[in-house]
Amino acid sequence: MGQNLPGLKGGEFRVELPGSGRASLEEVVKKQGDPQADSSISPLPHLESKIQQTHSLARLLTKYAEQLLQEYVQHQGDPFGLPGFSPPRLPVADLSAPAPGHAGLPVPERLRLDEAALAALPPLLDVVRRRQAELNPRALRLLRRLEDAARQARALGAAVEAVLAALGAETRGPRPEPAAIAAATVTAGVFPAKVLGLRVCGLYREWVSRTEADLGQLAPGGPA
Amino acid sequence: MPAGRPGPAAQSARRPPPLLPLLLLCVLGAPQAGSGADTAVISPQDPTLLIGSSLQATCSVHGDPPGATAEGLYWTLNGHRLPPELSRMLNASTLALALANLNGSRQQSGDNLVCHARDGSILAGSCLYVGLPPEKPFNISCWSKNMKDLTCRWTPGARGETFLHTNYSLKYKLRWYGQDNTCEEYHTVGPHSCHIPKDLALFTPYEIWVEATNRLGSARSDVLTLDILDVVTTDPPPEVHVSRVGGLEDQLSVRWVSPPALKDFLFQAKYQIRYRVEDSVDWKVVDDVSNQTSCRLAGLKPGTVYFVQVRCNPFGIYGSKKAGIWSEWSHPTAASTPRSERPGPGGGACEPRGGEPSSGPVRRELKQFLGWLKKHAYCSNLSFRLYDQWRAWMQKSHKTRNQDEGILSSGRRGAARGPAR
Repeated sequence: MGQNLPGLKGGEFRVELPGSGRASLEEVVKKQGDPQADSSISPLPHLESKIQQTHSLARLLTKYAEQLLQEYVQHQGDPFGLPGFSPPRLPVADLSAPAPGHAGLPVPERLRLDEAALAALPPLLDVVRRRQAELNPRALRLLRRLEDAARQARALGAAVEAVLAALGAETRGPRPEPAAIAAATVTAGVFPAKVLGLRVCGLYREWVSRTEADLGQLAPGGPA
Repeated sequence: MPAGRPGPAAQSARRPPPLLPLLLLCVLGAPQAGSGADTAVISPQDPTLLIGSSLQATCSVHGDPPGATAEGLYWTLNGHRLPPELSRMLNASTLALALANLNGSRQQSGDNLVCHARDGSILAGSCLYVGLPPEKPFNISCWSKNMKDLTCRWTPGARGETFLHTNYSLKYKLRWYGQDNTCEEYHTVGPHSCHIPKDLALFTPYEIWVEATNRLGSARSDVLTLDILDVVTTDPPPEVHVSRVGGLEDQLSVRWVSPPALKDFLFQAKYQIRYRVEDSVDWKVVDDVSNQTSCRLAGLKPGTVYFVQVRCNPFGIYGSKKAGIWSEWSHPTAASTPRSERPGPGGGACEPRGGEPSSGPVRRELKQFLGWLKKHAYCSNLSFRLYDQWRAWMQKSHKTRNQDEGILSSGRRGAARGPAR
């Protein structure tokens, strides 16, 4: 601890986890030079509580994301939802699946990527919801789940951003609104729209699950 | 699933929309080599067809990767592989499909027709909408709760299932002036219903109708003309209390309060009571309780728990001559009749009207007699209450006589066993 690690700019730091998440968090706070660090009240319990809370939220949303995916495929009809169904993995603007090397990155970097993905998801989920409102107008539970998912992604993203801020890590700056998406919604063919929705719901599930795992590294009692 | 032979010329209803639409470019990003983006195109895209019609479709490969051909391509519909005899190669890059006698779509989002490469990967898809145009909705019925709103229900046409999403829109307008309005709160009392919450006029008729629309056409119901005041209903009567009538073992007294929302308008209202024995599902209904707020049930079984409900019909509101609409039944209220050692009569009805089925004529005649007495015999104190008190006294006397007779009987027996006379 206290060493300059390669790849870090001045003022940045990494959270290392030699054995205990709490020990690393203490180092993080000291490095930050937070005046409160020398006070009688340690910020660590608050930060741990925040991390634990966010981790629990991510765990819950992982379960909801799985339910959303199942509900979604049910309403698109076969072959969606059939075992072995493998539509083209179409690239989605501003968002891709977690990279294979994601788990090998330092935790703050992982959380930054998680936060960025969670911020990109809500407008995509809104597009899917609007299209599904035309294709499946009576699927009220599906539409509600899509609406909830957008809101929940925003909430989890904000919570991760708060954790990053508490850790003293940089977060990404504001990103431009994807204004073109909504205007073009009605012109898509139905099958590609169904595939897009499946892709977006799949990405949502992957990223909340990834966020849960990444926060688990920081939560008290998390793995070394 | 469609029939297995090539059919006549396709009857696809629409031209295919432009391919690679803007949404895909914006949301999906630029296609990348090997990314799996559409490397073929199905035509027509998302056609709408009548049940029983035929479809001819083509899957044309783009030539990406170069040299790609239609060799080895195949079709699936809703995940089921279609027989090869339905397909044929039109040219090196195009595989055609002929479907005949199409069944209605399996899901409202459309049947998934997919073109696959030899290795099973998906090249392109198109969604088929196969169904029927809507039939004329009918049987519109409407009611207004306390003259404040209007709820309408309808039946969606003789065949019902169109296999396509069918949108129903309830329209209404004042009969002699005003513009068409559209109801906005749907599915309030079932799938084919709508609620108009406010801004309704009284004393002037409305015209109401339902329009049904889907991808294959539209239909309109007949127009229903009504005045809000002729279709008024109200809340169930509150504060329903059921109690015993002194010691009378075959009677219960039922009291309630007029529904408060219309309490100033209910002087012609009608009420109905229904009651049943606790462990029975059969209700007995007492009609025409008129505009009273109390009633006595008679001819009941002694020592029995009864459930009682009351409902109200705001008949005659603001002078309406129509029948009015019954409210829902009030929450059940229970009470028990006093026990008796004698078996009681089986049926009952409300007093003072009607009377019990088994003694109806007796009570009617008694009523007439009492009325005559009051006029001619100066017996102003005579009333049904006195009659009921007499009945209660009679029952007590009967019990006392039974006990005495039991003593007397045992005494006689004792006397019989006594010395010879």
